[in-house]
Amino acid sequence: MNMSPKEFDVIILGGGITGAGTQRDCAMRGLRTLLIERSDIATGATGRNHGLLHSGARYAVGDNESAEECIRENRILRRIASHCIEETEGLFITLPEDDLGYQKTFVDACQRAGIDAEIIDPALARRLEPSVNPALIGAVKVPDGSVDPFRLCAANMLDAKLHGGQVRLHTEVTGIIREGDTVRGVHTLNRQTGRTEDFYAPVIVNAGGIWGQHIAEMAGVSVGMFPAKGALLIFAHRVNNLVINRCRKPSNADILVPGDTVCIIGTTSTRIPFEECDHVAVTPDEVDLLITEGAKLAPALSSTRILRAYAGVRPLVSADDDPSGRNISRGIVCLDHELRDGVKGFVTITGGKLMTYRLMAEMATDTVCRKLGIDKACETATTPLPGSEERSYEAVASKIWESPSTAQKAATARMGTGASRIRSGNRLDDALVCECEEVSVGEINNAIDRLDATTLVDLRRRTRVGMGTCQGEFCACRAAGLLAQAHGCIEREREDLRQFLQERWKGNFPIGWGDTLREAEYTQWIYKHVLGL
Amino acid sequence: MRFDTVIIGGGLAGLVAGISLQKEGRSTAIVSTGQNALHFFSGSFESLEQAPERMKDLFGEAGIRLHYSPGWRLMPMGSFREAALSLEDVSLLPEKHFADKTLIVGLPGYLDFFSGFLADGLEREGIPCSLRTLQLQEMQALQQGPGEMRSVAIARLMDRLWEKVVQELRVLLKDEDAVILPQVFGLRDASIPDRIRQGIPARVIFAGTMPPSIPGIRTQMQLKRRFEVLGGTYLAGDEVVDAHQHEGVVHSVVTRNLDSHYLEAAHFILASGGFYSKGLKSNPFEVTEPVFGLDVDYTQERSGWYAPQFSDDQPYLQFGVRTDEGLHALREGAPLQNLYAIGSILGGTRPEFGSGAGLAVRSAFAAVDQILENRV
Amino acid sequence: MKLQEYTESKHNFEECMKCTVCTVYCPVLQVNPLYPGPKQAGPDGERLRLKDPYFFNYALKYCMNCKRCEVACPSGVHVADLIQSARIRYDHSAPKLRDRILASTDLMGSLARPVAPIVNGVTGLGITRSVLDATLQIDHRRVFPKYSGRSFERWLSRRSKEQAAFAEQVAYFHGCYVNYNHPQLGKDLVKVLNALGVGVQLLEKEKCCGIALITNGMSEQATKQARHNVGALRKAVVDRGLKVVTTSSTCTLTLREEYPNLLDVDVSEVRDAILTATRYIYERLEKGATLPFRPDFHKRIAYHVPCHMEKMGWGVFSERLLRMIPGVEFTLLDSNCCGIAGTYGFKKENYEAAQAIGAPLFEQIRTVAPDVVACDCETCKWQIEMSTGFPVQNPISILAEAIE
Repeated sequence: MNMSPKEFDVIILGGGITGAGTQRDCAMRGLRTLLIERSDIATGATGRNHGLLHSGARYAVGDNESAEECIRENRILRRIASHCIEETEGLFITLPEDDLGYQKTFVDACQRAGIDAEIIDPALARRLEPSVNPALIGAVKVPDGSVDPFRLCAANMLDAKLHGGQVRLHTEVTGIIREGDTVRGVHTLNRQTGRTEDFYAPVIVNAGGIWGQHIAEMAGVSVGMFPAKGALLIFAHRVNNLVINRCRKPSNADILVPGDTVCIIGTTSTRIPFEECDHVAVTPDEVDLLITEGAKLAPALSSTRILRAYAGVRPLVSADDDPSGRNISRGIVCLDHELRDGVKGFVTITGGKLMTYRLMAEMATDTVCRKLGIDKACETATTPLPGSEERSYEAVASKIWESPSTAQKAATARMGTGASRIRSGNRLDDALVCECEEVSVGEINNAIDRLDATTLVDLRRRTRVGMGTCQGEFCACRAAGLLAQAHGCIEREREDLRQFLQERWKGNFPIGWGDTLREAEYTQWIYKHVLGL
Repeated sequence: MRFDTVIIGGGLAGLVAGISLQKEGRSTAIVSTGQNALHFFSGSFESLEQAPERMKDLFGEAGIRLHYSPGWRLMPMGSFREAALSLEDVSLLPEKHFADKTLIVGLPGYLDFFSGFLADGLEREGIPCSLRTLQLQEMQALQQGPGEMRSVAIARLMDRLWEKVVQELRVLLKDEDAVILPQVFGLRDASIPDRIRQGIPARVIFAGTMPPSIPGIRTQMQLKRRFEVLGGTYLAGDEVVDAHQHEGVVHSVVTRNLDSHYLEAAHFILASGGFYSKGLKSNPFEVTEPVFGLDVDYTQERSGWYAPQFSDDQPYLQFGVRTDEGLHALREGAPLQNLYAIGSILGGTRPEFGSGAGLAVRSAFAAVDQILENRV
Repeated sequence: MKLQEYTESKHNFEECMKCTVCTVYCPVLQVNPLYPGPKQAGPDGERLRLKDPYFFNYALKYCMNCKRCEVACPSGVHVADLIQSARIRYDHSAPKLRDRILASTDLMGSLARPVAPIVNGVTGLGITRSVLDATLQIDHRRVFPKYSGRSFERWLSRRSKEQAAFAEQVAYFHGCYVNYNHPQLGKDLVKVLNALGVGVQLLEKEKCCGIALITNGMSEQATKQARHNVGALRKAVVDRGLKVVTTSSTCTLTLREEYPNLLDVDVSEVRDAILTATRYIYERLEKGATLPFRPDFHKRIAYHVPCHMEKMGWGVFSERLLRMIPGVEFTLLDSNCCGIAGTYGFKKENYEAAQAIGAPLFEQIRTVAPDVVACDCETCKWQIEMSTGFPVQNPISILAEAIE
């Protein structure tokens, strides 16, 4: 069949984890796919959450079905996405002011959902996790973990591409092409080049997160979404090695998640108007709350340097089309608009959480395949993502390099088997761009060449450049130089650098005191007076 | 130990004050926590359009040649900034269109010099550029470990190899009338940049790199040496942790290293800098001066400390210690008779002194003059 | 909220601003490109090591523990401590036999003493050094210190009665060098202190301070010795109210800083009473005490501040003390590591680096051409004498010569 380059079997709108996962599943089932994303991968809720690989324990009491879903996916992700996950385990601690009686309710609910929850002695908890609040009176061990959403998203997209899928980043959908009651395609605008293009497919999947409401409207359907902001703080270094939760009814700021070289405390939940979704900011009250509650989980947080504050927007969906949003669905929402609204060729997949993305993608893909009359089984649960073919990054690093340097080890921990693609072994490629996180020139160039990174923020998501304590002071310039070499436009790179610095500053000034303020003063000096940006 | 003056902080302000006092025969000690902000000194003195004669003298006696020529400075990322006074390494250009054609020479694998950005900046001024990299055998040894390619490592090598560099440049040079090199020459020997200039038949400009700054380090070493040659006591890697003050007079300070061996003096100068160098401390609620508990001028409401746009002027950079007319530091509203505050710890509280280098130098001289008049 | 009033982290690595100044001043990085440099080895590496000990970089063994990175750091980060404690925590490779030998100064000293003339003769032979080079990788070019036939402890304990007669008393932590190699320095100290009316006592069963054990991967042994020494120090400082003087800058730093920072051995009760002899004597002279200086004493002295002395900031006391001696023409040598770094420079893999690091210092000494180089560190003394041929004396020995 000779299809034009603008025609696909399915077009997926949204480059968050849901979109990426759906593209992967569709591509693996043999469909010709296109993913369109207005910015970079994981810029919505996917890139602004806690990075927690839930065991599901948190939901066991309130929503046992959700919890069951979580633990099943938890086990699956450990197998298929090992390089994106740290199998840290987790604790649910009871503090003196909490009700110890809740522990039994909690554990029973976990058992019912199939979650391995083990009550352990507080003394053992303190040994397993030295940073935990020593005043704890109870502890339950659960199979929590942490996940890097950027890597997960990139790996899914990479797999989709390996199966023939195409990706258009920095491309905004400006309109949906409808013929009568059938959706046929999309109008797009490339935000970097200004080019407009139309693409066609018999099925379009709306995986746009909170922006999915707007996309749906373009298709002429209405999906009630309620943006809920969540604020979090990243600490400058890793304080804990196990996830620490509070064993009580879920509340604000009661999870501390370790991830790579940092740890994150979160989160809050505040309804915000749609207009704010693209400009969320963390308030001083939220900062206060996060530190205060966080210190109850691990007292060291009260005197640990804070790296940045950030907020994300959850796309909460109304369960029953009630526009007031009183009844919010906690689960996955998969809408076949042909059945629901009489609009053919349009599917919305939303709700859920980061770690149930694969299941969401499976549901969406099943719907797509049904519409296209394709009968192929889903294999995403059993096929490892590219990079995750081998579970231990130590083993992987030793296979690639005889005596891996720290930077090579760090790259392997980030990319899994994908690290073998990084050019190394000579001083130019091995030179470090980011010293805080040990990111080499080779790793940056790989991200530019193979992982669709076109800006500094893109690079940051894929390689951790700029995520260290200097927040890009040194590395941003070096990386900018490499990007400029790759795309050839200096002015664009200068602007990119300014935007990168502005992004970092946005996250720094809400916690702008102590060492953060010192670092900010230094950064100001370097960029304004030394470099003259 | 007893001195005439103890200076807290060994940055530009502290060193200028120390050298001035020691030259007048006043025994002076400088206490400095580590190396200072001169390590990322761009090489041009902002806010010092006119250098006071005494500054030129002071620097000259320390072996540092200053260059006064109002014009433009080519910044590392290709923009131009007005400048008038600089170290001799830094070229001050009479006009932006300073050449018809330029050769920009980088070093392989040296990411902290931005050839591409420079070329773009010059091309906007109508100056076409060729970009080359300097290939020297000796540089192979430099980068065996990752992260090795910093300005200082290269500069150490260049101190030995600069003549080879000149030869290479002569070969690379075609019809360009200007050459731009990274500012990695002249770490130990201040004459090298000039000798390079003389060896090349084109205008040579040294463009800045990411820190550490080679002219900055050299300047710091020269000023420190001058201070010590004059008989000054430089206590490196030490920190003043406490002070003994009574009824508006400071009697002695306690340092971390010398502990019970207090430093007594008739006069004290606080030149401990801003937030970066911990002259001012901040926590979520307040900004304080940690040694003497001096009055600090700052915005009470923390959200007022910052401008949300990184590129805008930041309020917190204006915070500083309060002083009276004569630069005596204020504590609970009253001046300490023998404690002067100079340099960036003043923040924006004394706009008449300017900012940056101008603030450091002018306030240092002002405090020194007070002390010299004050025969205690 | 009382939170975030200050931040604290192990060896305050959080305060690192990534300015890279430490890396500018690291002597090792200048000659050995395999070493990642203090910033990467210290604060950068710590964040990765907290994630997984797998990220520990074995190249940290090239750190000389000279502390120059700490002296240079504008934020006051304990970079060197960070690196050394990472080595203690994560490097579990068993120390080589060579390293055990080099680090076990008490043992080697006690074994060598009874047969000192033989040992000294043998270690002086080229063939011995070639064999040591081939078998243990102790560089054949390295000159070995000589052992003394009589220990300092024995000498002083024979004079305990006469020392006890002095109105004032101090205890003396003599260290291995004075005890096994060069008792003369200890005798010089006794002479000077006696001239000030102060009698000198030994500590109860002093052991080697342990610095070489710490840097050679034997921190458990070092901790045992540390606890023992602190016990002995307590008896002198707390029970008998004595100050404790030292003549080795490195021993001093080890007792006061390395014990609490690297070994978690509490020294709070004794730390402030431990002083280098030059500080102790200078402070007394500053307060009005006098020494009977010889009118005919004349020496051209160039003073080298040992790295550990520079870290403590007490070079100023030795300097001022030497300047106080009439007849002294004094030059302060530029701040430069001599390169030996204790046992570091004995090792074959480090020898060239050690010599390259010290080269500018040796050059300056040859230019200044003093009568004697003054230095408070014994391993600097070995290095400078071997590399320049100029004699090196501890300031206390110079002082002893300068008084009647």
